[in-house]
Amino acid sequence: MKIIIAGAGEVGFHLAKLLSYESQEITLIDVDKDSLAYADTHLDIKVIRGDSTSRAILKDAQVENSDLFIAVTSSETTNITACVLAKQLGSDKTIARITNTEFIRHKEELGFTKFGIDELISPESLAASEIELSLKQSSFTDAYEFEEGALKMARIVLSRSALFVGKTVKEAAKIFPEIHFVPIAIQRFGAQYTIIPRGDTKFQKGDTVVFITTENGGEELCRLTGKANRDIKNVMVLGGSKIGFKTARDLAEKGFNVKLFVENKERAFDIADDLPKVLVIHSDGRNVQLLDEENISDMDAFIAVGENSETNIMSCLVAKSKDVKKTVALVENMDYFELSQSVGIETLINKKLLAANNIFRYIRKGEVVAMTKLNNMNAELLEFEVKASSEICNKYIKKLDFPRSAIIGGVIRDGIGQIALGDFKIREGDRVVVCSLLQSIKGVEKLFR
Amino acid sequence: MKLNYKIIFYFLGSLLLFNGAFMLLSTLISFLYKDGVTGQLSLAGITTLFLGVIVMFFTKNHIKEMNKREGYIVVTFGWIIMSLSGSLPYIFTDSIPNFTNAFFETMSGYTTTGASILNDIEAVPKGVLFWRSLTHWIGGMGIIVLAIAILPLLGIGGMQLFAAEAPGPSADKLHPRITDTAKRLWLIYFGYTAAETLFLSLAGMSFFDAINHALCTLSTGGFSTKNASVAYWNDQPIIQYIIILFMFLAGTNFVLSYFAFKGKIQKALRDEELRLYFKFILIFTIIASVIIYFKADLTESSINHPMVWGKAESVFRHALFQIISVITTTGFVSADYTLWTPFLMVFFFGIMFLGGSAGSTSGGVKVVRHLILIKNGFLEFKRALHPNAIIPVRYNKKAIEGGIVFNILGFFILYMLSFIIGALVFSMFGIDYKSAIGLAASTLGNVGPALGDFGPVNNYAAIPLLGQWWASFLMLIGRLELFTVLILLTPFFWRNR
Repeated sequence: MKIIIAGAGEVGFHLAKLLSYESQEITLIDVDKDSLAYADTHLDIKVIRGDSTSRAILKDAQVENSDLFIAVTSSETTNITACVLAKQLGSDKTIARITNTEFIRHKEELGFTKFGIDELISPESLAASEIELSLKQSSFTDAYEFEEGALKMARIVLSRSALFVGKTVKEAAKIFPEIHFVPIAIQRFGAQYTIIPRGDTKFQKGDTVVFITTENGGEELCRLTGKANRDIKNVMVLGGSKIGFKTARDLAEKGFNVKLFVENKERAFDIADDLPKVLVIHSDGRNVQLLDEENISDMDAFIAVGENSETNIMSCLVAKSKDVKKTVALVENMDYFELSQSVGIETLINKKLLAANNIFRYIRKGEVVAMTKLNNMNAELLEFEVKASSEICNKYIKKLDFPRSAIIGGVIRDGIGQIALGDFKIREGDRVVVCSLLQSIKGVEKLFR
Repeated sequence: MKLNYKIIFYFLGSLLLFNGAFMLLSTLISFLYKDGVTGQLSLAGITTLFLGVIVMFFTKNHIKEMNKREGYIVVTFGWIIMSLSGSLPYIFTDSIPNFTNAFFETMSGYTTTGASILNDIEAVPKGVLFWRSLTHWIGGMGIIVLAIAILPLLGIGGMQLFAAEAPGPSADKLHPRITDTAKRLWLIYFGYTAAETLFLSLAGMSFFDAINHALCTLSTGGFSTKNASVAYWNDQPIIQYIIILFMFLAGTNFVLSYFAFKGKIQKALRDEELRLYFKFILIFTIIASVIIYFKADLTESSINHPMVWGKAESVFRHALFQIISVITTTGFVSADYTLWTPFLMVFFFGIMFLGGSAGSTSGGVKVVRHLILIKNGFLEFKRALHPNAIIPVRYNKKAIEGGIVFNILGFFILYMLSFIIGALVFSMFGIDYKSAIGLAASTLGNVGPALGDFGPVNNYAAIPLLGQWWASFLMLIGRLELFTVLILLTPFFWRNR
């Protein structure tokens, strides 16, 4: 598969990285020399320096032979123009990153497919819905739903009170015979690598564990790990950016009490006009006294989605010090990710990562139904549909030659999620959720082909 | 800065021409009813036309450029010049021989106040009575164009909000051009007038009375062709209900009527101002009806109350009629509200300050301003709790800018100040306090009937001549939303830049 990516920013780079593991043929176009050089030395891809809306550059990238053209520069108009040009010049499919969500909602009416853009991706709205999801699963640091919640992914940092600390996976399973959840990935405290748990893997205090649970397993999991799923009602949102606006709007519509801090006065007025249910406060949110006046300690969640990653992290720490249980920070700088989690910020949102994952998911459409990357872990969660021709079909899980660094988390059969252990026989039409380290993704895919 | 005097005079000249043409219309009525003053009326009309032509002739080579200042001057002096020329028919026919009296009567007409100094209305020739009603109707036309075109342009008292043509919060643009909008609204105004004339005629009024009352209802004026005003028809409830309906319509924003006729009835009915206007009338009528029914006696009055459909209906009808008449600042009289109970007298005094909707022909403070002031007042509490929060006042679901709220606050304070000064000056003429505050509120709000000596069954003839000038002034500033006139009295208006 030949893929051209326009824009070597963080989305473009991350996407190129994800795709290059699959040994796809990737060409990266950007005007910025440094980011191109960085991508060139770190990834096995071809780079071209130039304007992605130039015909000559597109020809140079052999757009006529490409299967997919992805425009993810920071400029919406550039992305749209580049996609239209690429389509005209013979690219099979195109994906554009946009900021105006109206385009997504009225895609047909505006005729994007007609003039050559097959898919629209908006990192801002992805981030907003991610934030909303994380509030729904407030006790988990990270959450994801498969098939409208038939199976859920939940990520938990084990505290000392968790019942299975110090036990192996097998022992833990014996204590709780009625199993509604299964661990699929563990990251030790302070470690950089991810472990796919086996029967003899031991849970330790401070581990970040990713579980797959069935529909009702979430609450049970909460109880066993000593965390209560708190009802969230009062939410403070920091930042009048598009993400802040969308988050505040969506949350207010769902009945949350939302206070939104906006730095720019005119913007604050416009938002107050658009969102009558949200209390808009004109301040940059760094004023701790003002946060106190607005009762930050009564908040159930604090969401910092300002322009600046550092400010977001700092204000989340302020919120933590005021006993806010759930904090969410928008962090653009990937290097801060690990650090932020270790200082106690529960959920980190990176819109570029979200966008890249979303596009990756689109590329794998067909075999992979859904996928998500586990934040800060080099593992992916994939959902496959089992075909009659798949190697895995009609086999017991224990008899499969499944890669060591991958694990089946659960199976959704007829819309009902089940935890699948060794004695489970996979049938045609099942949807299987697999957690895999990056290096094994190809091997897993082969089983489902 | 040099004022473009030529264009100002040219405009005033064209107004005279317009006024003269209407006078000739009343000449026609005079001729048809053979009231014997056709000659004098024609003379008044021709004099006005002639003056207009002369002024226009001498200023015809004006530069076609008008700024805000010329706008203020044209509006204010337009009303004055109309009143001056409009008093000619009264003087020429000897119906009102005194110039001050005639000017007051005309100003009361053009400002759609409806206060009269005529002691025996029924003795006045029909042509002159028709002219008297026409002054209301012409004034109403002027107010419509004022409200949609001029006030928003000048940014007075939050008029930007509901003006059809105004840029900004309310984007209910009717049509991109002001003259087209004005013509559409005039058509509605004309249509309503014609409809009321028809209904009143069908209900048994003579055609002459019907057309006069229609002209005076739609302009929320209040002149009547009868000495007893609408109370003359107290034995014909249907006639009074027709007048109630059209008074109500005259107090609504004509832009909403336009939307309704265009099929956007939902949009018109959702208008916040219309809803509040309706609620005011509903609640006040219930309060007044209950009090009158149990505490007051309608028949204890110089006005005859036959109660043809029973006591309860009669009480309800008169309560409704008087509430609508005062709120819309029409000033028709079907009963004497000052005799009901002390509470209701203060109550009616209070609602003189309400006014109808903006964009209607009614005077007063206007419902939308009260609406925004009330909302803003409540939000102040919330703002005190969240000093840094942006909490805008919403009108028709849109946030309105702080500047407009300030405009409205400024307008309200100036209105109250004008009221107090107005009452003080009236009391200097030896008028007792109750009558003085009633007069001030009534003239400023263009209502008509006041309290005390100038209540619904009295007229303004007892006001001394100097007091009539003062009343004319108050009617004018009230009608032109204060700022338009008062700005001419400020030194910086005339100062060169």
